[in-house]
Amino acid sequence: MSLIPAALATATALGVAGAPAGLVLPQRVRGWVVGVLTAGVGVAGGTAGVAALGGSGWSAEVPGLLPLAGTYLAVDALSGLFMAVAGAVVAAVAVYGIGYVTGHGSHGSHGLGSRGAQAVLPLFALSLLLVPAAASVSTFLLLWELMALTSLLLVLAEHRARPAVRQAGVWYAVMTHLGLVLLLAGLMVYAAQAGGETFAALRAGTTGISPTMRGLVFVLTAVAFTSKAGLVPLHAWLPRAHPEAPSVVSALMSAAMVNLGIYGLVRVGSDLLGGGPAWWWLLVMAMGGLSAVYGILQAAMASDLKRLLAYSTSENMGLVVLGVGAAGLFAHVGNEALAGLALAAALLHVVNHAAFKALLFGAAGSVLRATGERNLDLLGGLRARMPFTAGLFAVGALGAVALPPGNGFISEWLLLQSMIHGLEVPGVTTAIVLPLAVAVIALSAGLAAAVFVKALGVGFFAQPRGEQAAAAKESPLLMLVGMGLLAALCAALALVPGLLGEGLDRTVAAAGHTGTRPVAGGGLRVRLEEVSATLSPLWVLAALVVALGAVMGTVGWATRRRQRRTQARLWDCGGGAPTPRMAYTATSFAEPLQRVFDDMLAPEQDVDVTPVRESAYLVERVEFRNRVPDRIEHRLYQPVLDLLAAAGQSARRLAGGSVHTYLGYGFVGLITLLVVLVVGW
Amino acid sequence: MGLLRKIRDTGQVAEPAPPRPEGGVPPQAREFGGSVQVRCVDAGSCNGCEIEIAAAFNPVYDAERYGARLVASPRHADVALVTGPVTRNMAEPLRRTVAAMPEPRLVVAVGDCAINCGEFAGGYGVEGAVSDVVPVDLAVPGCPPRPDEIVAALRRVTGR
Ligand code: SF4
Repeated sequence: MSLIPAALATATALGVAGAPAGLVLPQRVRGWVVGVLTAGVGVAGGTAGVAALGGSGWSAEVPGLLPLAGTYLAVDALSGLFMAVAGAVVAAVAVYGIGYVTGHGSHGSHGLGSRGAQAVLPLFALSLLLVPAAASVSTFLLLWELMALTSLLLVLAEHRARPAVRQAGVWYAVMTHLGLVLLLAGLMVYAAQAGGETFAALRAGTTGISPTMRGLVFVLTAVAFTSKAGLVPLHAWLPRAHPEAPSVVSALMSAAMVNLGIYGLVRVGSDLLGGGPAWWWLLVMAMGGLSAVYGILQAAMASDLKRLLAYSTSENMGLVVLGVGAAGLFAHVGNEALAGLALAAALLHVVNHAAFKALLFGAAGSVLRATGERNLDLLGGLRARMPFTAGLFAVGALGAVALPPGNGFISEWLLLQSMIHGLEVPGVTTAIVLPLAVAVIALSAGLAAAVFVKALGVGFFAQPRGEQAAAAKESPLLMLVGMGLLAALCAALALVPGLLGEGLDRTVAAAGHTGTRPVAGGGLRVRLEEVSATLSPLWVLAALVVALGAVMGTVGWATRRRQRRTQARLWDCGGGAPTPRMAYTATSFAEPLQRVFDDMLAPEQDVDVTPVRESAYLVERVEFRNRVPDRIEHRLYQPVLDLLAAAGQSARRLAGGSVHTYLGYGFVGLITLLVVLVVGW
Repeated sequence: MGLLRKIRDTGQVAEPAPPRPEGGVPPQAREFGGSVQVRCVDAGSCNGCEIEIAAAFNPVYDAERYGARLVASPRHADVALVTGPVTRNMAEPLRRTVAAMPEPRLVVAVGDCAINCGEFAGGYGVEGAVSDVVPVDLAVPGCPPRPDEIVAALRRVTGR
C-alpha cells in the first residue's frame, strides 16, 4: 500500500531535481545527469503504475499545496495503466536521450542538449506521470497545463536550426490552448453542477445533473481530449509538432502524451459521468473511425518519415477511440461484458501503440541524427550502414502493421472480436455502426501494412539515394540500448500479452464496467471469457516459423538439384548499371494508393514545361510537382484563420496612434463598467 | 459469336509449310527440343531487317508454328536475332545481352549488315560486323533477307 506514494514521491523529487540540474550543470555532464534523473522518474512512476495495476490503490489530499483548492491525488488501476505506460516509455526514452544528447553526433543533437531543454525534459516526464494521478479538477488542469507548456518548450528546442519549428510551435501552442479552454469550460460546468471539484464529488454528484448539461460537459471535454490525442478534425498540430520536435520529445509525445487524451476521455466519459446516451458514443466512434482512415491515408502519402509516424499516431488513437466509443455504446445498451472487452482492447492498444511508436520515433531519430534527413525519398541503403537501427525499426514496424506476430495484432484482434460479437446486440444502431467499424479497422490495418512497408523498404533497403544517407553511421550505444528496451517491450507484448490480463481487467473495472473480466490472462494465452475466443501468440509465432522454414527448405531443396551454375551480371537492359535514382521512392510507392483514394485525398499536381528559346517544340525543362495537402485542415482551418486575420485587420482601425483616442477608450470603458455595476447590482 | 464466325470464314491464312530447309543444324539446337525463344537485338540496323523479322512472325509466314517465339528479355531467350552493323554504342550492350542469355545459346546474324557491315561498312560509327563482337552461329544473308529465309534459318534451329 505504501509503495505508490513512495514511488510517486521519488518520481516527483527526481523530476524536480532534474530541472535545476539541467540549468546549472556544465555541458559535459548535463546530458548524463538529466538523463539518469529522467529515467529515474520513469522507473519510479512506472512502479507506481504497476503497483496500481496489481490491485493497490491510493489517494491523498494535500491541502496547502495549491491556494484555494488544495491538491487531490488518487491512483487506481485506470491511472495505473497510463502511469505504467508513461513510466516505461519515459525510462527507455531517457536512456535513449542520453545517447542522443551526449554522443558525438553529426546532425541535430544540439537543440535538445541546451540548458533550457534539459531543464524542461524531466518536468515534462514528471507531468506525464502525474496527470493520471490527479483527482480534482484544479489539480488535473494544473498538471495538464504543465504538460502542455513543457512539451511546447521542448517542441521549440531546435528553433534556431530550422524556422519551420517556430511555425509548428505556434500551431501547437494555439491548438493545445484551445483544447485547454474547452476542457476548462467543460470541467468547470461539471464541477459547478456537481457541487464539488474533486473527482469523488463529481462522481457522486453526476446523477443529479440534467442530461443536457451532462451532454454539454461530455462534448466539451471529449473534443478537448480527442484533440490532445491527435484525432481528426483537431489533429492539425500533430503532424506539425511531431516532425519538428527533437525525436526524444516526439517519442514522448506520441507514445505517452497523446495517451492522456484517451485517459481523459475514459476517466470523464465512463468513470466520472458514468456513461451516457448512445449519441455521445456514436460521436466518439465517428471521430475515431474518421481519424483511423484519414490518418493512415495521410501517412501513406507522407514522404517525411516523422510526419508519417505522426499521422500513424493519429490512426492508432483513432482505433483506440473507436474501441472506447464501442465500449460506451455496449454499456449503454446494457451489455457490460462486451463493453469491458471493447475497452480492454482499446486500452491494450494504447499500451501496444506506446511501445512500438516510441521505438519507431527512436529509430527515426537515430536516422535523422545520422543523416540529417527526414525525407524518405533521399534515404535508403541504411540497412547496411545502420544495421541495428534498421532491425529495431523493423520490430516497431511489425508492431504497427497489426499482423502476427507483431504486438499491434493482439489488440486489433481483440478490438475486432468485440466489434464482431457486438453484432449480436439487438438494435438498428449497432447493426449499422459495428460493421462499419469492422470495415474501418480492416481498412486501416491494410493501409498500415502499405505504410510501414514503405517506411522500412524505401527508407532502409536498396541503395542510398542521397549523399547524407550514403555517409550514415550507426548511432551511439545508449540510443540503441534505449530502443532495445522498447523492442523488448514490444516483443513481450506480442508474445505474452496474457500477463497483462489481470491488470486490464482491473483497469476496465476502474473505468466503471464492473462485474466483467474480459481478458482472462492465462499467462501465455489470451482467453476472452465473455465471447469464448482464445489466442496463443506463441503458437502463432511457432506456426509462422515452421511455415517459413518449410518454404525456405523446399525452395533450397528444389534449387539445389540444378548442377550447372554460371555467374552473370545483373541484366540492366544493356545500358549502365541501375542507379539509385531508378529505385522506388516513397512518393512513387504511394502513387497507386494516391490514385485509388484520389477523391478523398484530392492531390494537387502541377506540370511546368519550359521550351527552349528557339523552338516551342523542343523542351528544355519539365517540372512536376505533386502535393497531397491535408484536406480537412484546408477546409476547416483556412476559413477560420482567414476570418481571424480579417478581424485583426479591421481592429487596426481602432488603434490609430492618437493618445487621445486611447485615453477615451479607457474612460468609456471605466464609465461602462461603473454603469453596469450600478445598474446590475 | 462474331469472332467464331470470323474464324470460320477466314480459314487458314498461313502459306503451306515449305519443305524442311537444307543445311546443318547447330549442335546446341538439339538441346532446345524444338522450342526456341528468340530475342531480337537491333545493333544498328536501318530497320529494314526488323520489318522482315516482323513479317516472319506474321500470320502469313508464321514462324511460331515451327516452335520459334519472340520474347522480351535475353534472360528468357535461347537465340539472339541480331540485325545491322554493330555500332559503337551498341557493341557493349550486345555483348551484355548475349552474356545475359542462359546456356546453351545461339546467335543468328540477320541481314548483310550483320554479316559484313553491308551498306554501312567503314562508317564512322560502326564498330564492325556481329561476328567481330560476339560469336555467330548462323547467318541469314540478304538486304534485307526475305521473311521465308528468316523462317528457314529459325527452322534449322527448331528442327521442325
Ligand atoms: S541488311 Fe539491309 S535492310 Fe538489313 S539493316 Fe542492313 S541495310 Fe538495313
